[in-house]
Amino acid sequence: MNPILDLLLAFLKVGATGFGGGYGMMSLIVAEARHFSVTIGQIADLNALDMVVPGPIAINAATYVGYLDAGFWGSLAATIGVMIPSFVFVALMMRFIDRYRKNQIMRGVLAGVKPAAVGLIVAAALTIAVGVIAPGASAQSILLNPLASVSLGGLIIFAVVAVLNIRFDVNPILLTVLAGVAGALFLR
Amino acid sequence: MHKTSLKTLGELFWVFFKAGTFTFAGGLAMLPVIQKDVVETRKWMGREEFIEYATLAQTLPGVIALNCACFVGRRAMGFIGMLVAAVGATISAFFLMLAATILLNFIPRGGAFAGAFQGVRAASSALVLSAAFTLGRGNLKTAFAVILMLCAFALVAFTSISAPLVVLAAGGAGVVYQRLKERDEAK
Repeated sequence: MNPILDLLLAFLKVGATGFGGGYGMMSLIVAEARHFSVTIGQIADLNALDMVVPGPIAINAATYVGYLDAGFWGSLAATIGVMIPSFVFVALMMRFIDRYRKNQIMRGVLAGVKPAAVGLIVAAALTIAVGVIAPGASAQSILLNPLASVSLGGLIIFAVVAVLNIRFDVNPILLTVLAGVAGALFLR
Repeated sequence: MHKTSLKTLGELFWVFFKAGTFTFAGGLAMLPVIQKDVVETRKWMGREEFIEYATLAQTLPGVIALNCACFVGRRAMGFIGMLVAAVGATISAFFLMLAATILLNFIPRGGAFAGAFQGVRAASSALVLSAAFTLGRGNLKTAFAVILMLCAFALVAFTSISAPLVVLAAGGAGVVYQRLKERDEAK
């Protein structure tokens, strides 16, 4: 199919099923990444860029993936695709807002999709971490021979950043800069 | 019902353009900035109504800041207002990210840069994990939620089932769960 149309449709799906904010949508993009000419490493770069480029994460992500896959028109198609569901849902919601407020079904949907979003983000983190720390390695080779396929330096940076940010709330931009410096010095 | 005035359209664009350009780290951070403009400065709606829209914006799928822009724009000026606010909220993210993506390709990949990229990427995957923790703290309070989280994780990480499909299935499971819970409480 036409790559521009492909991007539009894929990001339409992301926009329509992306619950839980920017990272919820990011996890869908990671899961769908194999359909585009984007590597896991490039998705990891996207996360870092997101911190310094203003604006909603999902818009940034659509622009980035769209551009890498199909140039300017790709980025425009992906961005418009991720936006369209908002127009539709908001218009519907404003029409039926009173009914919605009392709507048990919507509450049920949220009780399901919010925890699922957490699971999807963990899966995205794992996919990116494996792609970055053990590039090109299969699950089997990681289990059988971890020392040969895993970059120890990368694993240490991953673990240290995770602990410092989750447990001690250290600023993510500072951590990213320090990780870049540590990488430049110790990872070759 | 909505009087089309260029002035209001310009203001709608400006309010969301400002919020989209000068807030970092995602759409949620924009809401307080937007609230100040919409409620206090322009008086398009009361505080209560804005908070209701902001809450709805987070319950719907899609970009939170964009959902919010659509609600406010539509409330203030109908369909045209919705489009103008939506473009305002996203246009700078689009062009700045486009520039950043193009510039990123100019960074050399050899020597120390290769290591720096490796380090940044490792940190970036750790920060995605951290986002899961943040969202999980508020949303994993029942056994049902924890089981659903684990199922969604396993399906997406270890099978080739499409992630949007998993989300839809989780929504269905949530509806059934809520039904059963309410029936239990009624007894």
